[in-house]
Amino acid sequence: MLSATIISDDVRRAEATPVDARLLVAPERLADALGWELKPEGLCRNDICIPVRDRASLFVGDDVDLAAVAAALGRAAVVDALGGIAAVAMDAEGRRQALDSLHAPAFLLDDLDGHPHRLEEWRGRKKLLVAFASW
Amino acid sequence: MVGVAIDDSPDDVRPWVENITFPVLIDPNHVLTEIYAISNVPTVIWIDEDDQIVRPNGVAFGTDMFKDFTGVESAPHMEAVRRWVRDGEVPIVPDEARQAVGDLSADEVLARLHFRVAAQARRQGDEVAARRHFQEAADLAPNDFTIRRATMPLVGEDPFGEKFFDLYQEWQRAGSPYHGLSAGDAT
Repeated sequence: MLSATIISDDVRRAEATPVDARLLVAPERLADALGWELKPEGLCRNDICIPVRDRASLFVGDDVDLAAVAAALGRAAVVDALGGIAAVAMDAEGRRQALDSLHAPAFLLDDLDGHPHRLEEWRGRKKLLVAFASW
Repeated sequence: MVGVAIDDSPDDVRPWVENITFPVLIDPNHVLTEIYAISNVPTVIWIDEDDQIVRPNGVAFGTDMFKDFTGVESAPHMEAVRRWVRDGEVPIVPDEARQAVGDLSADEVLARLHFRVAAQARRQGDEVAARRHFQEAADLAPNDFTIRRATMPLVGEDPFGEKFFDLYQEWQRAGSPYHGLSAGDAT
């Protein structure tokens, strides 16, 4: 058992067990790990539930495989099991819709002092969003 | 203006934003480059009062510091921004804006995931795993500067050195691919 770091549009920590190339979590820890939980109706987050066709494929013994859960959500994932690190893609369909509708995707990022900010904070104003870097 | 630094730590960013009065955010896991399909910096996006994108991803500079290298002048874009802010004039119609940014390929998404795992492995002190995942990311998205160039300072390479110029030439030979408007478009 290790404390795994799961990175998607946010960073989560959850107890996980590395087994071969997989990171396994107890089903009741899935919400900590991914923000989604396994319910009878499927994988659920807030009011959204995504049905799972082959529930057994998520499980290894009593635990669930993080990469398999990501796949059931239609998301790519990269797992470094020994390092206790998983990266899960964001919603690709959401990105396609944003590119097409031109509605600016929401984000939550810290400023340099660690205070979180959302794009919505500046609603009602014109914004120049500038992605830059020191490199 | 809202600046988002695609950098690993606030200390990397601070020297570049001294005396800057607009908000500066930091994106160590490259969230923005995935949800906005950003493949290089600087990338500028115009977003209106209702959070609609009126001019999507585009190359633009605040100064002419890199003009000789990139061939991009800062003034036309700055003028276009002024006309938008002052008169509401938008230099691109929505249909063009919709077409301007190609979606990320599956490999480009996967590259972002390997980059995130690599950066986290590095933070945890596992240089070997970090290098493996940085390499996977580079192989998957060889023309993406937010992968290739962003990796350089994290593996002890100079992002303004010879390796960068090699990368730049490689990118030009590939046809200078970029997810968005080229410099000079739609200003």
